[in-house]
Amino acid sequence: MSRSGVPRPWWRRPPVGAALALALAVGAVLALRPTSAPTGGDSASAPAPALAGATLDGGRFDLADARGQVVLVNVFASWCGPCRDELPLLAEAERRWSDRGVRLVGLDVRDGAEAVRALLAETGTTELVVLPDPDGTRSVDWGVRGVPETFVVDRQGRIAARQRGVVTARWLEQQVTPLLGAP
Amino acid sequence: MRWRRTLGALVLVALLAAAGTALVRSTGPAGRSDPVEAVAASLRCPACQGESVVDSRSPIAASMRQVVADQVAQGRSPDEIRRWFVQRYGEEVLADPPARGVFLLLWAVPVLVLLGVCYAAVRTARPRGGPATRQPAADRPVGPGLSGRTAGRAWWAASLGLVATMASVTVAARQLDRPAPAAPADPVTVAVRLAQDLEQQQRYAAAAQMYGEALRDRPDDTVRLRLAFALLRSGDATGAERTSRDVLTRSPDSPDGLLVLGLAQRGTHPTDAPGTLRRFLAVAPEHPAAAEIRRLLAGASPTAGGTPAPRPAAATG
Repeated sequence: MSRSGVPRPWWRRPPVGAALALALAVGAVLALRPTSAPTGGDSASAPAPALAGATLDGGRFDLADARGQVVLVNVFASWCGPCRDELPLLAEAERRWSDRGVRLVGLDVRDGAEAVRALLAETGTTELVVLPDPDGTRSVDWGVRGVPETFVVDRQGRIAARQRGVVTARWLEQQVTPLLGAP
Repeated sequence: MRWRRTLGALVLVALLAAAGTALVRSTGPAGRSDPVEAVAASLRCPACQGESVVDSRSPIAASMRQVVADQVAQGRSPDEIRRWFVQRYGEEVLADPPARGVFLLLWAVPVLVLLGVCYAAVRTARPRGGPATRQPAADRPVGPGLSGRTAGRAWWAASLGLVATMASVTVAARQLDRPAPAAPADPVTVAVRLAQDLEQQQRYAAAAQMYGEALRDRPDDTVRLRLAFALLRSGDATGAERTSRDVLTRSPDSPDGLLVLGLAQRGTHPTDAPGTLRRFLAVAPEHPAAAEIRRLLAGASPTAGGTPAPRPAAATG
């Protein structure tokens, strides 16, 4: 290969060197690339999907009717321990902000009516408006990945924030109060 | 020298064939006949690590399968359904996201590297010095220098290694294909599984509730027995007795039914308990709980509140 008769070391030969450099460059790009924020379903402030149906206590709930209010949609299930822990916090948030137009609705995923009633009794949240989702298809329509998951729907019916996993008082404060406007 | 070239060509052909096979296997359709399953297999379970919606046992994957089935029933095409999911979960919900940008390089780089290595291998193995050295093999030992030959061997080894790697990937990919797709989870199965999880966490009252839910949808004595055990462990001896009696009316010699009834009676009708437990021992002397029950019957004073509640032999899946 080398005209001078002294063979060049293998890594100096063009195809190998080029391939190695390319591989290294791509590897570095991939390694340093920030993990891309999920697109589509994750983007906050997208219009909230429809959510309507019979509630656990025989009433009816329609998110479209709640336009003009800030709605916390909590996706939960009685079989989910963390959901059990955060329910009182969410119920308390609704109580605290109810006169400023905040409502809370629970979307109960793949659960039984009796089990969820027991959970509400146990956590002191029997007032909660619960929309059963026995086959979980409503949750999938909302792009839910697991329970608990909480959405904040603003007064215009858009998803202003979402939290995968348990919400904290601080998170609620940060996400909800800006939507409330002047008291 | 001819055999060397032939070998080189063979290695090249093998490499290209393996690369082609791998490409076809990884991009082609999985060959599933059921459209629901085919679409579910092309979606990634968002709550799991590296599992498709068709494989995952998580509740959300079960719900996603349901959505796929509903939409297929409505006559929507697989692409429409996938788009529907991408709108909600983003592109990472696709098991095979479209190759573009950086991800296209992920395909291009191995191909380029492969070509480069093949080229280098061929160049190294070929006798040096151009046409002048193209003569009988007698000259061969004085041809390339020692380092050149070592390099040549290294290249051959590398090429063979690559062939082996690609072959093993191809073989492994075949083994990864699921021979029999798991039956889609139905709500009752999910409820029973959740109940079992709750039992493992020693949350027996919650477990009993989930077993109750499962039974409402589908009466089944195996689940009923698990409910009875869960009730017993949650301290509801009356409920456990009622449930086990319910099972025993249908199958009077059910060992688990007798076991849980006997243990429940220790709380509700202590005088009846030994009789029931003896019947249990007579029916199932080899039962995993038999030794414990014998100890219990032999011991004059069973420890208060210390219901042993052995595991039922029957296990539901």
